[in-house]
Order: sequence, then C-alpha cells, then structure tokens
Amino acid sequence: MIDSPPLLSVEDLVVKFRTHEGTIHAVNGVTFQLQEGERLGLVGESGCGKSVTNLALIRLLPQPAGRIEGGRVMFDGQNLVDLREDELRAIRGRDVAMIFQDPMTSLNPVLTIEEQMVETIRAHREMTRAQAIARAVQLLSMVGIPKPETRLKSFPHQFSGGMRQRVMIAMALALEPKLMIADEPTTALDVTIQAQVLELLRDLTERLGSALVLITHDLGVVAGMTNRINVMYAGYIVESATTAELFANPSHPYTVGLLHSIPRLDAVEGSPLVPIEGRPPDMRHAPTACPFAPRCRWRLERCWQENPPLAPLVEGTRLVMTGPEATHQIACFNPPTPDEQVAGHPLRPDFKAAPPPPGTLDEVGAGRLASTDDLEGLDAAIEAEEGPLSLAPGAGGLPIPPEPEHHPGGILHDD
Amino acid sequence: MTRFIVRRLLGVLPVLFGLSIILFAFVHLLPGDPAAAILGQHATPERVAAMREYLGLDTPLWQQYLGYLDNVIHGDLGSSVINNQPVLREFLVRFPATIELTVAAMIFAAGVGIPLGRYAAKHAQGWSDGMVTIISLLGISIPVFVLGLTLQYIFAVQFGVLPASGRIDPRAGLEFRTNFVLIDSLLMGRPDLFLNGLSHLILPAIALGSIPLAIITRITRVSVLDVTNEDYIRTARAKGLSEGRISTRHIMRNAWLPVVTVLGLQVGGLLAGAVITETVFGWGGVGRYVVDGIFDRDYFVIQNSILIFALVFLVVNLLVDILYAVINPRIRYA
Amino acid sequence: MAAPAITLDRQADRRASRGLWGDALRRLMRNRPALLGLVFIALFVLSAVLAPVIAPYGPLEGTLAQRLQSPSGAHIMGTDSQGRDEFSRVLYGSQVSLVAGIASVVMGVFIGGSIGALAGGVGGKVDSALMRFVDVMLAVPGILLAIGIVAFLGRGLPQIMFAVAVVNVPIFARILRGSLLSLREADYVTASRSIGASGTRLLFRHLLPNSLSPLIVAATLALATAIIDVAGLGFLGLGPPDPRTPEWGTMLTDATKFIRQSPWLLFFPGAAIVISAIGFNLLGDGLRESLDPRMRR
Repeated sequence: MIDSPPLLSVEDLVVKFRTHEGTIHAVNGVTFQLQEGERLGLVGESGCGKSVTNLALIRLLPQPAGRIEGGRVMFDGQNLVDLREDELRAIRGRDVAMIFQDPMTSLNPVLTIEEQMVETIRAHREMTRAQAIARAVQLLSMVGIPKPETRLKSFPHQFSGGMRQRVMIAMALALEPKLMIADEPTTALDVTIQAQVLELLRDLTERLGSALVLITHDLGVVAGMTNRINVMYAGYIVESATTAELFANPSHPYTVGLLHSIPRLDAVEGSPLVPIEGRPPDMRHAPTACPFAPRCRWRLERCWQENPPLAPLVEGTRLVMTGPEATHQIACFNPPTPDEQVAGHPLRPDFKAAPPPPGTLDEVGAGRLASTDDLEGLDAAIEAEEGPLSLAPGAGGLPIPPEPEHHPGGILHDD
Repeated sequence: MTRFIVRRLLGVLPVLFGLSIILFAFVHLLPGDPAAAILGQHATPERVAAMREYLGLDTPLWQQYLGYLDNVIHGDLGSSVINNQPVLREFLVRFPATIELTVAAMIFAAGVGIPLGRYAAKHAQGWSDGMVTIISLLGISIPVFVLGLTLQYIFAVQFGVLPASGRIDPRAGLEFRTNFVLIDSLLMGRPDLFLNGLSHLILPAIALGSIPLAIITRITRVSVLDVTNEDYIRTARAKGLSEGRISTRHIMRNAWLPVVTVLGLQVGGLLAGAVITETVFGWGGVGRYVVDGIFDRDYFVIQNSILIFALVFLVVNLLVDILYAVINPRIRYA
Repeated sequence: MAAPAITLDRQADRRASRGLWGDALRRLMRNRPALLGLVFIALFVLSAVLAPVIAPYGPLEGTLAQRLQSPSGAHIMGTDSQGRDEFSRVLYGSQVSLVAGIASVVMGVFIGGSIGALAGGVGGKVDSALMRFVDVMLAVPGILLAIGIVAFLGRGLPQIMFAVAVVNVPIFARILRGSLLSLREADYVTASRSIGASGTRLLFRHLLPNSLSPLIVAATLALATAIIDVAGLGFLGLGPPDPRTPEWGTMLTDATKFIRQSPWLLFFPGAAIVISAIGFNLLGDGLRESLDPRMRR
C-alpha cells in the first residue's frame, strides 16, 4: 500500500485571490497526499485556506478572482491543474464529489431531488432515465431517507436540513467517487443531527472505499472520523499527523491552542477554557515570518524573522506521507513540551514570548499584541473569531462565511 | 393551488367594483350635464331633455348606478351615443388588433431583452454593463410616440422598406374573420398576406416594446448575476454538469422568476402604450377607439372601455401570478 | 489587520461628521451620469426661464409665407407649418413642460403623500380602505388613466397637470405608507413616544424626514415621466386647449403631417422631450445611489 502511488498528491499548491482590496494569499504552498480509502481531516479557523485548498483541487474557485498560481494536484495520474475544462468536468462528480457546508443553499430550489440526482448520474453514465431513477431510489434509501420513491418528487425546501444533507451525500456518492470532499458538512446542522450525518458519511465512504477529505474548524468533529489530520493556519499546513498521534502529542502551539479552546468532559476540575488570543493574520500580505507568531505564547526571536517549514517532528525520520505510519510533521521552531501541551502554556520558568521587533507590527498584522501575554479572563472562543477574509465581504466573491459557534463536548478522547 | 387562484380572483372583484363607482361618478357627478355635453353647445333644451330621458339621467343616482351595474354584470356595456353601436361589440372587434400589437411588442421585448440580459451577465466585467445601462436609460427616456415617429421616418419615409401605418395593405384583399391579421391570412392560406401583415407589425411592435425591452434587459442581467453566485450553482459545477446545462436548467430556471414578475408588470404599460402607438401607426385597435371616443365626447365609450382595459389588465396580472406560482415550487407548496 | 482596521474606522468617523445629506451630495458630485443629468436639466430649465430673452422670435409669430423652411441662419431649426420659428417654439415649449411637470409632481406628492401618510399613520380600516382605492387607480394603467381624466374633466393645462399627477399618486402613497409602517415600530420612535412626544411631533420630526430620501428619488424620476406624459397627452390632441400653444407633444402631432417635407419638425421637439427625460432619469438614479448606497448595483 505504501509503495502504490497515492490517489491524490497535492504538491506545493499556491492559490491567490485578486480583489479590489489587493491580492489575498489564501493558500501558500500546501503539500499533502491521500491514499485510496483514506480519510483525512483538514482543520483550522475560518479563512485559514482549508476550503480554498479543496475548491482549488477541482478548480471550482470563485471566478475570476481565485487563481491557482503554483503547484500540482496529481489525481489518479493526472495533473488536475493542467486539465482542460471538459476533461475536468468528466472527473468532477464522477471521481471527485463534494459536499458543501449549507444544505439549505447547496441544492437548487426549483428542481426536484429526482431531477438533481438523475442529471448527476446521467452526466457520467450511459443510462436510461428509468435506470437513473432506480439508482437514485437506491441511493436515497442508502442514506436513510424513508419512502425514497415519493421523496424523489419533492423539492429541497420540503426536506429538513439534516435530510437535505443526506440527499447531498446520496448525490455525491451516486457515482461511487474515488474521493469525496466534505466541506464543513455538519456546521449548519442542529447539534443532535451532526453525529448522525457524520456517522453516515464515515460508514458509506468506508463501504464504497472512497477516500474522504473532511474540512472542519472543529477538532471534535474529526476525532472519530479520520485517519489523519492536517492542521492549517494562514494558508499553510502547520501540523500533520495521524489522528491518534495528533491528539496524543499535539506539537504545534496552534494545535495546542485549538485543543485547549474546546470544552472537554475529561478536563481537570477547574482548569479554564483557554481561547487563542488575537486574530488570524491579514492575508493580503505574503507572510515573511511565522504567521502564528503574533498569537503564539512559545514564540522566539527567530519566529519574527523566519517562517518555519513543515518538517518531521523527530529530526531525521524517513518521511511517510500517508497511511497509519505517516510521519508527524510540524512547522515550528519551538514546539511545546508534553507538559506544556497539557498545560496549554509555556512552563519553562525563565521563558518569555519574544516581543515583536519594532516595525514588524503591521507587516505580520498582529491583533492586540500587548495583551497576548495576559490571557486570563477572556472568553472569546476562537470559532467566534472573524476570519481575515470577511474583512472584504463580497470582494471577489470569497466563499468563506464566518462559521457559527458551537461546542460539541466529550468526544475528544474517544480513541 | 385552486384556493390560491380563487383567492386571487376574488381580489379582482372589489377593484373592478370600486373602479365602476369611480367611473360612474366621473360621468354623472362632475359639473356639467352629460346630455348637454354629448349634444354640444348649440343643443336646444328640448333635445337635451330628451337625451336626459334617453340616458336615464332623470332617475335618482343610486338607481342609475344599480341599473348600470346590473347591465355590466349581464355583459351590456351600453352603446355609443354617437352611432348607437354597442361598446362591448365594438371593443371586441378591435381588441384582436391590440392583442396582436401588444403580444408582438412583448415577444420583441422578451426575445431581445432576455438574451441581451444573459449576455450582459455573462460578461459582467466588461463594456456590456455600460451597454445595459444605456439601453435601459434610453428605453425609459424615449417616449413611445417619439420612437414611433422616428422609426416611421427612417424605415418608411426615408428608406421605404417598411409600411408607415395600418395593419395590412387594404388592397391586398384580406378577409377578416378572427380579426387577427396574422391568423386570418393563414386561414386564407395566403403566406403573402401574412408577410404583409408582419411587415406592418414590425415598427409598432418595436416602438411599443422599447420600454419593456429596457426593463427586461436590466432585470435579466441582475437576476442571472444573482443566481450565478448561489451555492447550488457551485454544486452543479461540482457534479460535473456541462456549462450549457448549468446555464439553461440551473441558472435560468431560477433567474426566470423575477423576469416573469416584471414581464407581468409590463402588461399595464403595454396596454397604455398601445393607445399612443395605435395613434402613431394608424392601428385600428381599442386604443384608437378610446381616443376617438374622447374626441366625440362619447362618455359611455370612454367609461366602459376603461373598465374593460382594467379588467384585461387585472386578468393578465392574475395569470402572471399563477404562472409564477407554477414555475416557483416554493410558492406552489407554501 | 490592525492598521487597515484603524484606517477604516477613521474614514467612518470622517463620514459621520459630514452628515447624511453632505455625504449624499459628495457622492452625487462624483457620479458622472448624474452630473450629465444635471447638465441636461440645467439646459431644460434655462430654456424655460430664458426663453423670452434667447428666443429670436415670439412663439406665435410667423406668416404662412415663411412656412416649412429648412433650418437656416435665420431659423436655426427651420419654421413650422404656420411659418413660426421652430427654435423659439421649442424654447417656449420647455416652459409648458417645466411648469406642467413640476406642478403635476408637486400635486402628486401632495395627494399621494397625504393618502400614504394617512394610511400608514392611522392604520387599520382607514389604511385598507385607502389602499384599496390606490389598487383601483393602479388597475387603469399609466397614461390611460390620465387620458380618462382629461376626457372627463375637459382640456386645459390645470386638467392635464391634475391628470398626470394622479398617475403618480400610487407611487408616492406607497412610499410614504411603506416608510411610515416600517418606522412606526422602530426603536427611536417607540422611545420618543414613551417620553410623551405627540403624534404630530413624531410625524414631522421623525417619520417624514426618514421618508424623505425615497420621496426625493421618486419625485425626480416622476418628473421624467410627467414630462413624457404631458407631451403624450399633447400628442394625442389632449394638450392645452389653444392649439397654437407651443407644447412639444402638440408640435409633434402637427409635424407628423409634414414628415416627408420637414422631418426636422419631428426631430427638434422629440429631442427636447428625450433630453429632459434623460436628465431627470439620470439625476434620479444618481440620487438613489447617493442617498442609499446599498441600492447600488
């Protein structure tokens, strides 16, 4: 398995948006791989580039603002970045399927579910209408929609949010894609429905052998769902590890921060919920230093000068990109120690986060820098943070809405 | 659905009722005696009295109104005081001409406006924005009669390629049956007459259709742009559908909704514009009938023609509402 | 992040200090189409005001011997079928259009505004009764309503103004009613009411000023339609009772008889109508964009 070429190989992908407000550096050189049937979580705050990365994979970036400016996306032996539009169209929906965040707006309101499913199937398979309808019925019952024959004739607004997302899943799985990309598939749903939909997604991709990329801002969501996790920040992957390893040994200060900002049932009595102070950087500037430095409690002088590359946590390890043996990689000069991972802040008595060198403030776009060392008593959870992209609503039609706030508790340390 | 139609239908009745009262009041309550007005300044008192009796003006007003209402309900819209022809019959004889003209204008407006709007939406960044702005500005700023006269001068007088007025060459020998020139010519099996009628229709239809053209172009562009940015269009692309299918099925099926509403709202303007267009092009429709009635001070013709115009307008709006409900599933099941 | 945020805040402050109207004016002055509209309107208004000064001849002055002359040095727009100077008549015609247009819009705003204010302010049965009445008016489309009114009231400039005003009444009634209804429940109105402000005071201090910007926009656009409608009535032969009056629509009707010999008689009054209508339409659109930037497309 390790020797076979990966299903998907993203190599140094760079995506920029040209807007009236200037160029937005959305994805700044992202590299990762995915084996067949593997499930990968892509985690980060809104605006960190996780959705843009995946829209770029099958070239669905908002036009004309969004552009792939570098890198390759090798899928099944083809570079998707270079394909002609019609070649790409044959792959979309058939080999790579997508599920979007809001099932309320992702289905066409004036077409019946039947029309929308049948057209998907018939766009890629030689099939009569009747055959396609039969297939659609089968798919709907597979995702647990009762009375599929009659429900096929319904319009999207006649379904609840959870049911609509099931329809989206059924539609995405219609052609048994090799890769399924689910972009915040449960964020818009009621908390009670979320677990059901996630379970369905996991079971079905497993049954069909589809690989899955699950995009979320919520580490709790990916915990029981994925084999591996990439944590993204400011258009970079800052930590990459198997799911078990990431939760057992979170090694990037941002990941540590993420874990401490989620309520946990197993938390030590009285240990406070710690938000990550500050905001994601302004992505209109190409970062020259570590993009997380302004918010980091472990930062060194060096972090203000250089951007740490993604590298194996243990120096000299042979790099394995996929599978259960995948190498734990981080992009950090001063990773937290195991004790500090648990505490959520530096424990070295003489350590003090390096102050910003004069003049760099604007460039790295620090939020309220003066207060980063004074975290106690603040309760703004990071999910509530506004991503930097929401600064210019509508500019270039950026697709990333601010994500709603929610805290599913207790599923963090299941495994 | 049936309940929806019935409810909307019932909404039309009070409007017509109110209008009949207002029109009645106009004829009977305004200073001046309709009988005297009809007969002109030099009528003898005896003739005025006779006319008053003939018109039933000597009974109490409420009785007159009830009598009028009773007649209207039974389809009797009175007769012209000039030539004693029944208003309803005269109206119906001329109505096909007006329908032919307004439908042609609507086809022109929608047939040019919708593709133009779609084109402009597709090339939203470029010069097409300016083009749409200029078209809509000119459309609402050039009155029908100015455009009509200009077209007449250019195409009929200057180049002589299209007829200046009338519905068909009177010497061509068309037998009027349905009073639709295009239909009658086909019934006679005479394509030459059909083309003759069509050539007469072009200029008035363009003149009358210019305002709806401007509005439809603008609304189509905005509507298509709005829909193109919807999430479900991204879903359609992600499913691997062709751009053609996305455009016709996914974008237009949604973008239609506001366009249909606006098309419906234009019908009133078209009916009103037809009155003027018919005057410019000597088009023998109901618009001419009303205007002639005004010059003849034929009060009953004016009163009841306006009532029929309102009825037609309300019914068309009703049909548009129903059509809207049919193409918009969210309303159908609401 | 911090730096641009601060600049944005500063801009917002600067805007707030200028006030709504100053801000709108500033935006209007940057709107090129609206400025072009203002130029057209200025042309139109100046022709009307200065007609007696500029016009080389009187509007009724002319002899049949000089009829239907082509444009020349003496008559830059030629002469009409009565030998009158077309240029002078177009200039004087702007007086009729300007006066009738403004008067009808003022009347329309007043009648429509009163209906709307009454309906929105009193509510309940008064509201539904008045709105049914407006529905009835809307059932007779546009110029047909004006034609009917002139037909019944007789020909004459006041009748024309009233008829054209009535066409616009529903627009203004709805605007005023709409803003009153939406504002009645607004927080600051409730607040004023709770401190005991009287109904009239509320109406004039709070509600009317807030209905003002849509009203101004609608009135400007209505001026364009009013000019077109007045000319339309004139064209149908329902213009001022004295057929010699220089009125653009009536002049067009006269010109149709000589479309072959003297097409310029069509061109000049037609162009005058179109230019004035474009002027008010451009200004109206510009005002809408500057008074309510959200409506910008």
